[in-house]
Amino acid sequence: MAYSKSRYLVRRFQLDPSLIIVILLLSIVVISGFVLSDRFGTTRNFMNVLEQSSGLGFASIGQAMVVIVGGIDLSIGAVVTASTIFMAAVVDLHPGLMIPMIFGTLLFGAMIGFCNGYLTIKTGVHPLVVTLGTASILNGSVLIYTLQPTGGVPYWFEEFAYGRIWNVPISGLVMLSCFALTWLFLRYFQAGRAFYAVGESPEAARLSGIQSSRVILLAYSASGFFAALAGVYFVSRTGVGDPRIGDPITLASITPVILGGLILGGGKGNVLGVLLGVILISLLGNLLNYMNISTFIQWVIQGVIIIIAVSVYVDKGEKL
Amino acid sequence: MSDVKSIRSYLKIFKQLGGLIVPLSLVILVGTAILLQPSFLSINNVQDILTQAAPLALVVLGQAFVILVRGLDLSVASLMASAAVLATAFNAASDAMIPVIFLVTIVASAGVGLINGLLVAKRNVSPFLATLAMMIVLQGIRFYYTQGAPSGSLPEGFRVLGAGRLAGIPVNMLVFFFFFCILGWLLHKSSFGRKIYITGGNPKSANLVGINADRVTITCYVICSVMAGIAGLFLVGFVGTVDNWVGRSYEIDAVVACVLGGIMLTGGKGTLWGAATGALILILIFNIVIILGLPVQAQLIIKGIIIIFVAGLFSRSTQH
Amino acid sequence: MIRLDGVSKIFPGVKSLDKVGFEAVAGEVHALLGENGAGKSTLIKTISGAYIPDEGTIYFDGKKHKWGSPKEAKDAGIHIIYQDLVLFHELSVAENIFIGEAPLTRFGTIDYKTMYEGADEILHRLGHHIDVQALVKSLSVADQQMVEIAKALVGETKLLVLDEPTAMISGREAELLFERIKLLRDEGVCIIYISHRLEEIFSIADRVTVLKDGQLIGTRNIEELDRDQLVGMMVGRELKDIFPSKRVPSLEAAPVLTVRNLCAPPKVKDVSFDLHAGEILGIAGLVGAGRSEVAHALFGSIPRSSGTVTLGSEGFNNPSPRESINRGLGFLTEDRKGEGLMLLLDTSANISAPALPEFTTATGLDRAHEIQVAKDEIDRFRIAVPGPESGVSKLSGGNQQKVLFGRWTRACRRVLILDEPTRGIDVGAKVEIYEIIRQLANDGLGILLISSELPEIVGLCTRVLVMREGFITGEVEGSQIIEEVIMKYATAERESMALDVA
Repeated sequence: MAYSKSRYLVRRFQLDPSLIIVILLLSIVVISGFVLSDRFGTTRNFMNVLEQSSGLGFASIGQAMVVIVGGIDLSIGAVVTASTIFMAAVVDLHPGLMIPMIFGTLLFGAMIGFCNGYLTIKTGVHPLVVTLGTASILNGSVLIYTLQPTGGVPYWFEEFAYGRIWNVPISGLVMLSCFALTWLFLRYFQAGRAFYAVGESPEAARLSGIQSSRVILLAYSASGFFAALAGVYFVSRTGVGDPRIGDPITLASITPVILGGLILGGGKGNVLGVLLGVILISLLGNLLNYMNISTFIQWVIQGVIIIIAVSVYVDKGEKL
Repeated sequence: MSDVKSIRSYLKIFKQLGGLIVPLSLVILVGTAILLQPSFLSINNVQDILTQAAPLALVVLGQAFVILVRGLDLSVASLMASAAVLATAFNAASDAMIPVIFLVTIVASAGVGLINGLLVAKRNVSPFLATLAMMIVLQGIRFYYTQGAPSGSLPEGFRVLGAGRLAGIPVNMLVFFFFFCILGWLLHKSSFGRKIYITGGNPKSANLVGINADRVTITCYVICSVMAGIAGLFLVGFVGTVDNWVGRSYEIDAVVACVLGGIMLTGGKGTLWGAATGALILILIFNIVIILGLPVQAQLIIKGIIIIFVAGLFSRSTQH
Repeated sequence: MIRLDGVSKIFPGVKSLDKVGFEAVAGEVHALLGENGAGKSTLIKTISGAYIPDEGTIYFDGKKHKWGSPKEAKDAGIHIIYQDLVLFHELSVAENIFIGEAPLTRFGTIDYKTMYEGADEILHRLGHHIDVQALVKSLSVADQQMVEIAKALVGETKLLVLDEPTAMISGREAELLFERIKLLRDEGVCIIYISHRLEEIFSIADRVTVLKDGQLIGTRNIEELDRDQLVGMMVGRELKDIFPSKRVPSLEAAPVLTVRNLCAPPKVKDVSFDLHAGEILGIAGLVGAGRSEVAHALFGSIPRSSGTVTLGSEGFNNPSPRESINRGLGFLTEDRKGEGLMLLLDTSANISAPALPEFTTATGLDRAHEIQVAKDEIDRFRIAVPGPESGVSKLSGGNQQKVLFGRWTRACRRVLILDEPTRGIDVGAKVEIYEIIRQLANDGLGILLISSELPEIVGLCTRVLVMREGFITGEVEGSQIIEEVIMKYATAERESMALDVA
């Protein structure tokens, strides 16, 4: 039997029912945006949303990878915070280290992620608890160092967050490429496929000759890496390290993951769905702002969305 | 592989000390505190510590119930602040309003617990996600109501409840003792308590011996929320002023205290006595941090370390 | 090909393998036999590298090996097909077949095209056609089994271990499977075959090794043995000493439980039967035939969609487990640790669980009464436990099971459903359990016995229902109760099968 290219391209996208829901919600938000506000449906606005959603996007990629291997990372917000401080503080002292520090910060995040994975595997404690613990340690360390926004980076570095190429935000492009690369990795690489196997059952994966603990370590390291990337983005945006900036990110990073049809407990899902989730959340926030709905009400909406999304999708999901 | 074994065998040694850990660490902590500050055990200081410990201990009692049925309630801190804001909403001057305020708080908190419990038991939502979402929903409603700056006042009597003394014993400690007795009876002497242990230890089996595991779970969430609501009122009485963040970080503190007190995060094991002791140990640690002149934020680091490693000590996988 | 020398594996409290020597050569089908808990699974996990033996050595291909992980054993050419299929439902058929060793392009990415073609070819060699791009979750159990076997044909497999491969497939599919196995054997693969269906062993194996309680009983050529000798080796005593004598109950009185047209989708279809007081009624069938689901539907732990059930003389429709217990029904489930025992609680709490209302007083739980009751049950069933207040997690399988018997005979007055009551316990304990079951029936309980161990059904029951794919396909009585007849009903092809699978 021969396999035509087109046939397996169709298979490749494997549209999950949950994705249809996200697409549906997305269309509702976009349509109501066009109806309710004349500023919403402009290219300019969409580009702004893309730019603003990058931080959330980075964080969500990492969260998605951990969720696929059956874990959860509640330290993402703390890693974001710590990365901004680390980067801004060091660059403030040694402005010449700007470029190396981008990589240094990413490495820093990946190392924290690695620790999360290591502790999860070695102690046998649920990742929820382990990452809650590392989050507390990181936040404590940061707050001892500073209670106020601190440090600084050269002015030109804001190009990463605000710069445009052909009117498209650079940060947005970076985020989209990260999603694309992650998708390619999960789809076309042996190690990527192993994520799903480990997520379904680490023991079965081990019996199949997959080194489950390496896969888990990789997933958590990636999560830390992307959280640090989100941190770099925020430094670029605000120019400083901020000891509180990551607080809302942890929960926010879970929302698109769930909306994208990834199930807590692992083994399932597609990061493209997560991307749709990120866009949905960002557009919704954008629309609510145009409608002058208070941030406080937006919090309520976020909570309600999580609850609805989870209770719709979770039925066979494992309780964490 | 070999270092897994060595970590596990260290943990095993600790486990063999078993019941001795808690009293031993209490003695060590008190000893350290006295060495550092000879007046530590003075009546005044002890009274202060107990007054300070009572609100946390109240939350811990409730959290223990939820953890025992394999749950987790991260909404308690948000609920405490919401209860405090709700109390000021009455703008009452007369102490006669205190029972009314308590009643309304208890009913509202029970409602919150009911929603948490229904989501977890009936909709199969993972506990941390349901309660995290609840946390942010409550936060949104609270901030929206106060528009970011709480106003309103409390009757004078709250001060007495929160910081007063009766025959030298802190009033809030007496209240704690009252609840400790009632809940202790419920958990350890009544048949409902047995149902909690059965449900937490093996929910499938619980259903097959005719226990309505869902109902038991929901009840535990209600108990937890009611205790948090009450604790919020006592905390606001202790602090004296309301702000939107009363009780901040109490959710983590409560979990850490339960873990310290030997309540297994995987459910079904632990005592209320242990939970209360855990709260006391945590408060002692906080005090020692202050005596040592360390920044308050060091508490966060200590909490993080405790939660990871002590949970590792009690985690099921180390039993094999 | 493979040789184990004095291999032992110790788990807390159990010596699962005790200085076992074992050898299998290329080009043979070597059957590994033994009752549940005899150490078969431990042995193959030792061969596969999933367990590291505590003592002894493993020789493979003439060389001494010490595998640290399943991957190393796999790379050496050992392939294991576990009883619980090791498949990933969110991955495609081809991905499962090539798990961990997918063909790569020169960029290091997975070469899906080659992989699909390779998977097609392998399935073709097995004479089986499945869409290799379909996700495994969309396949039937028999197809999943084939995927599992197909995995063994990737790369060079020198040693293939099959752990109860026919537990969930029909007779025709099993025959197909045997053909493939013989084919592989003739290609020079060494095959270790685990099953406790003796007919299969005689039709496929060249040699047989028997384990019992973690010890090697012996290795024989299959021609040297007859059926009874083999059973004797497995069980360690004669069959007639194992089962108490049967007693046919009086069927004149009205049945204690009548079931008519019971349906509980998806596994229970139109089930009807009567159960009399004092009767031991067996339910036989393959794994997945819907036997346990009948029990759950009766007990109320899964919902019924239609049908009428009468318990005593009153209707018994859509009860909750609590109502079932109150009405005198007991249910000892097949998964002792997952659905039965509360491992964190003590013996008395495990025994009293379904009868909690009985121990509830105004001031709380009557602990003294509870402990007294537990003591009575411990004495009655001779449970080897230090006392009512000691835990159950470290007890042997047999004693754990007796704790559950204590639990249910306390709570249950009319009908006791036993689902695999002797799974994973040693022979001595089995004999005791059989006596208990007999005694309970003599005392007037109606007993519904679900078991995969046919000798158990044959030895205890006076009437047997045979299930297949959710239906009752046969009812046998008296001298008709022999393994061959039961297996015929259990595996008989049904015309509806094609429909069901679709």
